[in-house]
Amino acid sequence: MSAVSFDRVTKKYGDVVAVDGLSLDLYPGETVALLGPNGAGKSSTLDLLLGLRRPDSGTVRVFGTGPREAITAGRVGAMLQSGGLMDEVTVGELVRLACDLHPRPYRVQDVLAAAGIDQIADRRVNKLSGGQEQRVRFALATAGANDLIVLDEPTTGMDVTARQAFWATMREQADRGRAVLFATHYLEEADAIADRVLVLHRGRLLADGTAAEIKARAGARKVSFDLDELRENGAALEQRLRGLPFLSTLDISGHTVRLQSTDADATVYALYGLGVHPRNLEVAGLGLEQAFVAITAAEEARSA
Amino acid sequence: MSGADSAIDEAARTRGPEKESHMTTHATPHARTSGGPRFTSGALVTLEVRRALRNKKFLFFSVIYPALLFVIIAGGADSTTEVDGTGLALPAFMMVSMASFGALTAVLMGNSERIAKERQSGWVRQLRLTSLPGRGYVLAKTASAAVVSLPSIVVVFVTAAAVKDVRLDAWQWLALTGAIWAGSLCFAALGVAVGYSATGDAVRPVTMILYFALSLLGGLWMPTTTFPHWLQTLADWTPTHAYAALGRAIELGGAPHARDVVLLLAYFLVFAGGAAWLYRKDTLKA
Repeated sequence: MSAVSFDRVTKKYGDVVAVDGLSLDLYPGETVALLGPNGAGKSSTLDLLLGLRRPDSGTVRVFGTGPREAITAGRVGAMLQSGGLMDEVTVGELVRLACDLHPRPYRVQDVLAAAGIDQIADRRVNKLSGGQEQRVRFALATAGANDLIVLDEPTTGMDVTARQAFWATMREQADRGRAVLFATHYLEEADAIADRVLVLHRGRLLADGTAAEIKARAGARKVSFDLDELRENGAALEQRLRGLPFLSTLDISGHTVRLQSTDADATVYALYGLGVHPRNLEVAGLGLEQAFVAITAAEEARSA
Repeated sequence: MSGADSAIDEAARTRGPEKESHMTTHATPHARTSGGPRFTSGALVTLEVRRALRNKKFLFFSVIYPALLFVIIAGGADSTTEVDGTGLALPAFMMVSMASFGALTAVLMGNSERIAKERQSGWVRQLRLTSLPGRGYVLAKTASAAVVSLPSIVVVFVTAAAVKDVRLDAWQWLALTGAIWAGSLCFAALGVAVGYSATGDAVRPVTMILYFALSLLGGLWMPTTTFPHWLQTLADWTPTHAYAALGRAIELGGAPHARDVVLLLAYFLVFAGGAAWLYRKDTLKA
């Protein structure tokens, strides 16, 4: 059974379509990254998943029930960007509350330790740094044996070390067979952590696959080289370079050429066919970030 | 084995053995020891009460302040002259006024500002991601306010008895405490409604205006008999007037008047209905 199932879900706010006929399934044990530019509908999608909002049409099922039932059964833990904390209580008291409210709770001590906040259990919640607050939110989301953990921009406000520690903890959760769904702005996180990446754009699913597949889907590879011949007859040579097959972009600065090609093999072959002598030739795949930009930009262009 | 425990086991079974094998070290959920059905809201009620008792400023204003006002207003008055048309001497009259005022402060202020603030901070949203039933939050807020309002009532009574020799029968003290405490629920509901309708900066002024208007018009600060006639007529229909009248009837040795009880009950239904409606609207908007 899928952990999460969206079936042609649509959510509008007035005239704005935040989620547009979205269908997707998430399965236990998957770590899934949800990517998209601002306004792509990431937060709305998470809200619908968690039952914080109701879809205008379509259905959202979580472990075969409605979102609210799944939460009440203690199967879903969530950490929201917008999730505030109760103030004037201590970190320990707040985590104890989360454990008390959970139908299948862990021990308070264990939850505190796993989130790395056992040292600050006696501190008042309103006296925490941004990174510590995030850890408390994480503790609230993992107070019991959830089968799905939903995280919205979980590492915002954390420094690099804290971020790494956070993902180490998160990976442990995924290794226990939980499904983990997270929205993030840091594409390197999605690249390094997720087994599956969803790219959302204007409320629709633009791409769904592994990070490698998404990068391949963007189609392009980067080719760069130095060309001494450019010093002599730059203009004429540039003209011939622009005629190379499968080119998507070409950028010349000094005698360095950077291009993107949808078929790097063919482009490089043709490059040698020009009778030039490129030095320091490099062919590389696009990073997830560039792939993401390429995919969403292509969609922008198509819908414009 | 309790019902809750078997429900947990049931949930574990349906998830299948494959999932269980992943659970190591601290991943074993510990079994709940308490028997019977779980009262999930209890945990939040406990924490809210503890937090309220920790808030010194709030405690001062709702527990000490009404008793202090009582001493200031009734301190110089003699215990025989009765307040016009009430059959009560000023100390006895003001004792009920201030006890009602204290309870009003605790429940109205306690609910409205906190709810508005916690809606804005996103804590209410966070709570909706737990198994806590929606009404549990409102219940916890009201319970914690009620825990603070009880001492505020008792402190006024003790002060009145000690400083101004107010003497009543034992049943009257108990009935007074019960009536004023129960009557404060009406204003707790109003506090919830305000907390869910106003946001951020607006909530304090709105609460204050309601609080002063209700206190003043209801005759909690001074007898409404000093008001001009038209204002007396208006005051007669305020919930605070009916509220204080409950206590005064008991002080005179009788039961509260049916009209006051019905009026207060009607207000309670309106406030609670409004609160429920606003709460549902807020939930859909989230």
